[in-house]
Amino acid sequence: MLKFQNLTKIYNTPAGKIVALSGVSFEVASGELVSVVGKSGAGKSTLVKILTREEKPSRGGVFFHDTNICELKGNKLQEMRRRIGVVHQDYKLLCEKNVEENLCYIMQVMGVCDQTIKKDVQKVLEIVGIENRVLHFPHELSGGEKQRLAIARALIHRPEVIVADEPTGNLDLYNTYEVINLFKKINEMGTTILLFTHDKEVVDSLKKRVITLDQGKLIGDDKKGKFIL
Amino acid sequence: MFTSFKRIIKFGLLGFWRNKNLSLQVIFIMGVVVGTITFLFLFEQFSNFLIQQSERKVDISVYFKKDASEESILNLKEQLNGLSGQVEEVTYISSQEANEIFIAKHQDDKFYLEALGQVEGSPFLPSLNIKAFSSASYAYIDNFLQNEQTNNLVEKISYSKNKQVIDQLFYITSSVKKAGLVGGIAVALLVILITFNTIKLTIFSLRDEISISRIVGASNWFISGPFLVQSILYGIFAVVIFDAIFVGVILFLNTKLQVLFLDFNLITILKNNGWYLLLAQIGTVLFLGAVSSFLASRKYLKT
Repeated sequence: MLKFQNLTKIYNTPAGKIVALSGVSFEVASGELVSVVGKSGAGKSTLVKILTREEKPSRGGVFFHDTNICELKGNKLQEMRRRIGVVHQDYKLLCEKNVEENLCYIMQVMGVCDQTIKKDVQKVLEIVGIENRVLHFPHELSGGEKQRLAIARALIHRPEVIVADEPTGNLDLYNTYEVINLFKKINEMGTTILLFTHDKEVVDSLKKRVITLDQGKLIGDDKKGKFIL
Repeated sequence: MFTSFKRIIKFGLLGFWRNKNLSLQVIFIMGVVVGTITFLFLFEQFSNFLIQQSERKVDISVYFKKDASEESILNLKEQLNGLSGQVEEVTYISSQEANEIFIAKHQDDKFYLEALGQVEGSPFLPSLNIKAFSSASYAYIDNFLQNEQTNNLVEKISYSKNKQVIDQLFYITSSVKKAGLVGGIAVALLVILITFNTIKLTIFSLRDEISISRIVGASNWFISGPFLVQSILYGIFAVVIFDAIFVGVILFLNTKLQVLFLDFNLITILKNNGWYLLLAQIGTVLFLGAVSSFLASRKYLKT
């Protein structure tokens, strides 16, 4: 379903070249829950940015059902982005919109009718457990609630893949496990999940496939969920 | 398509309402644009009015010799009326009529009336008062009167003496008009620049929203459409608020302004040209808003 092929990303900075990713290749099958782990600077965020096409790789490509995301432009790219749900560490919520509008937005972008949107929003809000916060704006929510909203937004349009970049990075222990359980639940419903994290406990508790990055290189791909760093 | 269009309008309205302070600031700046357009329009109208007034006050008076027959004067009047496109009106004032005009004008001035009483008959010369269509015609009319046949009848032509004053008056009026237009256009450009930057700042403050909208897969049109709607709303509000205040002030002060500005009637001007002015105001602010929001949002739509 997802194929990362020989991905290399080099940043040219005034201080010189920084190799963020170097020849990273792996595949993710449909319905898998894969944790991509690594220390800070390992290249996790760069990988997420390439996957969401916020960045372009210097070499290689990311194939989603045989389509190279890195070569997409304009409307084709936007259509592809709608097929991938993304949960960012800093939530990236629309601050000018309330909880309900944040969730509706992606559906509205896709041209879904208002009745379906209303039904789906209610359902997803119940799944993530913030149904009592519908009319609140992001700045009125706690960190955990923001993260749940971000997950709900990534989930609502039933994407084939959900990419979560450090989704528990800003959460306390209680909220961390709530969120992880939520991802498990979503995965059980059939959605492929790519979890980018450096949290050993989270990864160990999942007991799912773990891909390990170090200094931009893939150093481990363990099917039994072993955090090797 | 229609659903998307409806949603874009809804987002625009929501954005306009939720960012009330920002909206008020942009409306104020756009109000200044509308004010500048209105000022330029009124300045143009006032300049034309001044030129017309000057032209009305300037004419050529041809005074005939005492022995010139009324028939030959009226004949010349006919010839002058025949100068199509040059002469607007020719009025014959006989010696007797000139006398009556003088008495009516100085009826409270005993000195003049006593002096006039000592003269037998009318001391005034018969004359033709000629009004031309434009200042340029006076030289043509003057030239027409300079021939041997007319010279035998004419005692004096007042145009030659007034020529310098007339030319100077036209020069001053047209110079003021040109300077006003150049100044007005400079102010307009400045205000347009300020408006553009205000809208740019408004969109800059929402750059994160734009980039997030891009990441979740919204099309450029879906993202920038609401900004366009907001710009249209800014423009419409600016025009409505400015015009409401402007018309109110005009209705209240028109009589006083007429005294101040040589009978320049703003209400008549607005009645005759109000729709054109409104069209210019709306056209300018909509164009300005659309271009500004397009250029400002384009920068953040590249990711």
